[in-house]
Amino acid sequence: MTWNFDILPDFIFNGLSLGAIYGTVALALVLIFKATTLINFATGELAMLGAFLVYVLHMEQGLWLWLSMLIAMALSAGLGILIERSLTRPFDPSDHLPVVLITLGLFLILNAVAGDIWNYQVRILSNPFGKFPSWVPSVGGDRFIEVFGSRLKYQSIGIWVTLALALFILGLILNKTKAGLAFRAVSSNVESARLVGVHTGRTLGFGWAIASAFGTLGAVLVAPQLGGVNPNMMATILIYALAGAALGGLDSLGGAVLGGILVGLIQAVLVTWGGVVVFGQLYMSILQLAAAFVIILITLLFRPSGLFGTRRVERV
Amino acid sequence: MSAPLVVVAKNSAEHKRWQYVQWAYVAGFVLLTPLVLQPFEIGKMNRALIMGVAILAVNLVVGFNGMLALGHSAFMGIGAFVTASLVQDENWDYWMIVPVVLIVGFLIGVVVGLPALRVKGLYLALVTIAQAAVFPSLVNIDELGIAARTGGPNGKGVSEEVIAPSYWEWLPGVDGARGGSAYRYWVIVLMVAITILLVTNYLRSRAGRAVLAIRDNEAGAAVYGVNLPIVKTMNFAISASIGSLAGLMWCMDKGFVAGQDFTFLLAVDLIIGLVLGGVGAIQGGLVGGLFVVWVNDLTKRISIPLGLYTLNGDGPLAKAIFGLILILFTFFAPGGIVSLGRIIVNKLIKVVPLTPAGQPIEPLSNFDPGMESTRADVAMKMSIAGPVLLAVGWLLMNVNNLLVGVLAFGLRMGILVLAPVAMLVGSNELAAHADGNRPDSAKGPATMARTLGALGFLFVIGYAVQRFVLTY
Amino acid sequence: MVDDVFDEVGLKVENLHASYGAVEVLRGLDFEVPAKNVSVILGANGAGKTTTLRAICNMCNTSGTVTLGDRDISRTGTAEIVRQGMVHVPQGRGTFPELSTMDNLMVGAYTRKDNEIKDDVDRWFEIFPVLGERSSQMAGSLSGGEQQMLAVARALMARPRLLLLDEPSLGLAPLIIEDLFDRFITLNKETGLTMLIVEQNANLALDMADYAYVIESGEIALHGTSDQLKNDPAVQEAYLGA
Ligand SMILES: Nc1ncnc2c1ncn2[C@@H]1O[C@H](COP(=O)(O)OP(=O)(O)OP(=O)(O)O)[C@@H](O)[C@H]1O
Ligand SMILES: [Mg+2]
Repeated sequence: MTWNFDILPDFIFNGLSLGAIYGTVALALVLIFKATTLINFATGELAMLGAFLVYVLHMEQGLWLWLSMLIAMALSAGLGILIERSLTRPFDPSDHLPVVLITLGLFLILNAVAGDIWNYQVRILSNPFGKFPSWVPSVGGDRFIEVFGSRLKYQSIGIWVTLALALFILGLILNKTKAGLAFRAVSSNVESARLVGVHTGRTLGFGWAIASAFGTLGAVLVAPQLGGVNPNMMATILIYALAGAALGGLDSLGGAVLGGILVGLIQAVLVTWGGVVVFGQLYMSILQLAAAFVIILITLLFRPSGLFGTRRVERV
Repeated sequence: MSAPLVVVAKNSAEHKRWQYVQWAYVAGFVLLTPLVLQPFEIGKMNRALIMGVAILAVNLVVGFNGMLALGHSAFMGIGAFVTASLVQDENWDYWMIVPVVLIVGFLIGVVVGLPALRVKGLYLALVTIAQAAVFPSLVNIDELGIAARTGGPNGKGVSEEVIAPSYWEWLPGVDGARGGSAYRYWVIVLMVAITILLVTNYLRSRAGRAVLAIRDNEAGAAVYGVNLPIVKTMNFAISASIGSLAGLMWCMDKGFVAGQDFTFLLAVDLIIGLVLGGVGAIQGGLVGGLFVVWVNDLTKRISIPLGLYTLNGDGPLAKAIFGLILILFTFFAPGGIVSLGRIIVNKLIKVVPLTPAGQPIEPLSNFDPGMESTRADVAMKMSIAGPVLLAVGWLLMNVNNLLVGVLAFGLRMGILVLAPVAMLVGSNELAAHADGNRPDSAKGPATMARTLGALGFLFVIGYAVQRFVLTY
Repeated sequence: MVDDVFDEVGLKVENLHASYGAVEVLRGLDFEVPAKNVSVILGANGAGKTTTLRAICNMCNTSGTVTLGDRDISRTGTAEIVRQGMVHVPQGRGTFPELSTMDNLMVGAYTRKDNEIKDDVDRWFEIFPVLGERSSQMAGSLSGGEQQMLAVARALMARPRLLLLDEPSLGLAPLIIEDLFDRFITLNKETGLTMLIVEQNANLALDMADYAYVIESGEIALHGTSDQLKNDPAVQEAYLGA
């Protein structure tokens, strides 16, 4: 058994950027969980649909990539509001079963509709961070810069900056706007929120909207790493995101991001040491997915509220 | 027709008679299935029964304990792979593997369930979703000899098909062409029956009552000294071991298992079956299993041209149809088919419970509509409708269209219910007339309902017996 | 049951029923809260006082008519009722534990569109200096009494016409209670704020209130001006410890 330290920074950079994407999707999960204590199992498929919207707008209609992303995020937000209003609001949120069934049904429908329209082949979507601008001293066809003797991809930097920006904007929305204040109030105490005049339904719709937009962002950022978009692209990402959300604490927004990043790092380390060296390259992805499952179990076993969960998780 | 057509006291002779009719139908259905169906259709029936057992397992957690278990595909997979490996690599007999599979399923259930069930909320859903997603890739792990035992990405076949030993060949259907699948059908029916019996008893036991109490009022159950994490985890583990048993049945029936058979989509199928059948109803599992397998089969054959676009059930959209069914049922029929059935049955017949002293809690005469009763008329209409629907169904059967075919089948089945109900209501009404509770005008329709209903019923029985004798 | 004896009716409740599942808790209440007055509801534990306030705000399964001013609000949603000027301080405070004291107050003004919100915050910080000191602390980490003050201040941030208070004295030190009730009276006198208060401390409540109702197992058992009730032997025995 040999430890290959040379490639470790590469993998850590990789893990950090994958992790940032998991964090983005985990954030989408947590935004809805925080307000309703529900897990939206259609999060991944909604995000996938958003990525396909970008595909249509950018690759097929030739719109500027970033503009396509903004439009797609806005459209997914609208879809989120629509789903909340028509499919989940009629149900008592304290009864989890119906809403979980609804999100599972949505999962099937969205996946199948996307499969019917675009079939299940991988379609290339341009990388928003393909090449460095010309003024950056880079190597490897403008895709890398050298840090600690290893290659730091433009893509990774781009993902971090984008996520940081998105988080900053989310923070502004939640902390500086009235709708954000209402959202935090509903997440904290639904009944009292009603008593100060907050329309809880609309506010939850707002949560769904932001969550869907974040999911779409995550899907677009992850697409280049998967070779492109396809209807099943989010299946494993969602599991990692769930692990990240559980690890960070299902009701902590910051925890979701950090949890997602940690999961990405754990995955990277498994690839470097567990995957590549011990178990052989071929099976690394298998181990990684199992790791997500183990992370969830261990978190629940030792720290059910997650690393950063604020609300006391009730023992039964 | 708001008032029920028949009112009987629980456990009275008439109530028993109704129950015999019910059981006769169940027996007829079970007996005829291996006789009249094609071998590949029997295979589907087997598949439906196996799904039924797995859905029952899910129901134990979701329906009876109020927790969300969404990953039973993994337990089925574990059961199936353990079975395949023990049969193929170790030459065990299937019946020797049953306890092994049950124990393995139970232990894994404890490992997965305990962390998640210690805390309140959706955590079990979280863990089980992940479990379902991860399972198919686990069987490919090269280390620890796992892939060698599971066959890795290629799957694992059991080289010897399960066929009837000579002393079982007298079982209906177990000879000639259908032999193998019909024999497996009988084995599966036996296992299903035993499982249902055990689960029913379990739910009536002390532990089972605790499980139900948690579902109905978690805080209340805790106050009465129910140890919530332990009871929930045990229940989940029992459910997991039943799920594994379904996996064993799967392996025995198909003779081949692969990781790709036990994906998240199978888990979703189980949930759909549960909702379709009926959350919290024992029969729900079987009904759901039948529907998932047969509806899946149907949607695959649907092809509706819509102008430029053809809606093809064969492609990805089959799943969308299932998703739609799931959402529609959640909205409009949260109790599933079983509760819809109950609504219909309650329209037809009301069973009045007994007081501890053995008397009906409300005198049956309170339900008697008296002289204005229209029951005889309704019964007469039903007795006529049965044969008419049968004839229409027969005619439509020759139209070569899938949807019409399904409709025709449904119409023909109508007589199964209409004929006996008409017969029994007719004779009830005649008795009421003899007591002076009905006008003379009711006598004609009642007699007709009784006669026509009896003929229809005889026809159904005769037809079943004829099919039985003919094919046996 | 109560005739239209008041000049101006703040809140009028007719034949109010409420149930939790199959259990009927309120069995046909009729009463009126006169405008610009302070009314109290007295009653034993479990009599249905909290349920009455919840039913008025449409927070549980109800039937009957509730009229605020001249508007029928029996079918109006809880959040909308706040916009009509009635604010409810629930029993057990109901603050937002994960929000800061400041944010709790800000969310209290959620329905307001004017630009005097900041001034109101300052005013409440003046009246309850502890809140000012802890303005950036999470409400969940305030003491019970501090949270009670916060809940009252938050409700008043909405500038209600009618305030429903469910046991505002719960968990407060006696001195603070008196201070708080003094403030209620001042508010009532200065701004004409109508109040309906549920209170266990009957002495204090009757001293402050103009009008009082006694609820027993979901029905109004007694009502009258607070002086009438103070001198009622039944009330004296059951609630005033005389
Ligand atoms: N959510 C609920 N579910 C079922 N029953 C309830 C619920 N809330 C209250 N009750 C019942 O309704 C009755 C009235 O309760 P309520 O809270 O209105 O009493 P109260 O007069 O406010 O008592 P207290 O002085 O103790 O606050 C009680 O018997 C209580 O058990
Ligand atoms: Mg109370």
